[in-house]
Amino acid sequence: MGADVSVVAASEEGCHIFNDFGCGFEPPGVSLFFPTPWLDFGLPGTSGLNKYYLVAVVALLVAAAFWYFTTRNAKVVPGRGQSVAELLVGFLRDQVTRTAIGKEGDRYLPLMVTLFIFIFSMNIMGLIPGLQLPVTSNLAFPAVLAIIVFLLWNVIGIRHHGFGGHFKARLVPSGVPGWILPVVVPIEALSNFIIRPATHMIRLFATMFAGHLLLALFAAAGFYMFNPTSPMGPLFGAISVGYSGIALVGFLVFTAFELFIMAVQAYVFVLLSSIYIGEALEGAH
Amino acid sequence: MNENREGDDGPSAPNGTTLVSYLLGGLAFWGGVGWVADWALGFSALFLPIGMVIGLVGGIYLIYAQHVRS
Repeated sequence: MGADVSVVAASEEGCHIFNDFGCGFEPPGVSLFFPTPWLDFGLPGTSGLNKYYLVAVVALLVAAAFWYFTTRNAKVVPGRGQSVAELLVGFLRDQVTRTAIGKEGDRYLPLMVTLFIFIFSMNIMGLIPGLQLPVTSNLAFPAVLAIIVFLLWNVIGIRHHGFGGHFKARLVPSGVPGWILPVVVPIEALSNFIIRPATHMIRLFATMFAGHLLLALFAAAGFYMFNPTSPMGPLFGAISVGYSGIALVGFLVFTAFELFIMAVQAYVFVLLSSIYIGEALEGAH
Repeated sequence: MNENREGDDGPSAPNGTTLVSYLLGGLAFWGGVGWVADWALGFSALFLPIGMVIGLVGGIYLIYAQHVRS
């Protein structure tokens, strides 16, 4: 029992490497993604009001503030802020909607720009000190966005090709002999109506989840390995500082990498949305 | 309709997601049908591998028919 008490005492003041408490490293787990709710209504299947809500609101404000400050006095000759906004819109137009949908895609450019900025600001919340929680690391947020795109994909297809035309184009592949259809139509249905929206949301969720877990692991490991006053002597203290330094370098490198990933994932989400919408406009292939 | 896309990658530029979802969809659906058949008819694993092969072939055929041949 005595040993247990010292373990608890050690972990309360922070457990470090080369200790004589006998405690070990506790890696961060998925509990990171289930913050304690501040207000729990006790409804089944809900998390209560927790940190995600706050961070999502902050992300929304960041996205709104970006547009407010870059476009509040828009001129023909853009200033610095306006140039950034125009660069972003131009980039998304040329790289996303024009390539995936074509000229007609300009109609969907506002949606894509909004999605990109919102997702990017939700992702970037993982790097803001104090918040440090990417909103998209909770499946619910990407799920809502992906479902909106999925519904839009159906609405656009039905509007342009009629109810039958849209579902025929999505279910019956053209140029396939009739006797193969019973095999491939269920595959098309499952692929287009379930797997694709699911992968659309899971791709964003999983990369943000894993990236945040990786950063948390580096931070926790760096903290665990920092023990300059090790009871095992100054040599082990120096070694522990060296270990901790390596973890710190890893943390910094992966933070920079994570920033890149956050932008790329927002871009990929928008690009896939455009591809789906372009496909719905096109009809049968 | 899409001036920018004509001649890019042929008729419809495949994206990785579509291809993967065809393969997964084929495996999941026909594998699932095989699994249900096994369960209903009391086999341990007879129709499951058959269904997975059918699904895989169907998925590959769909990719071929939609993105390679046309």
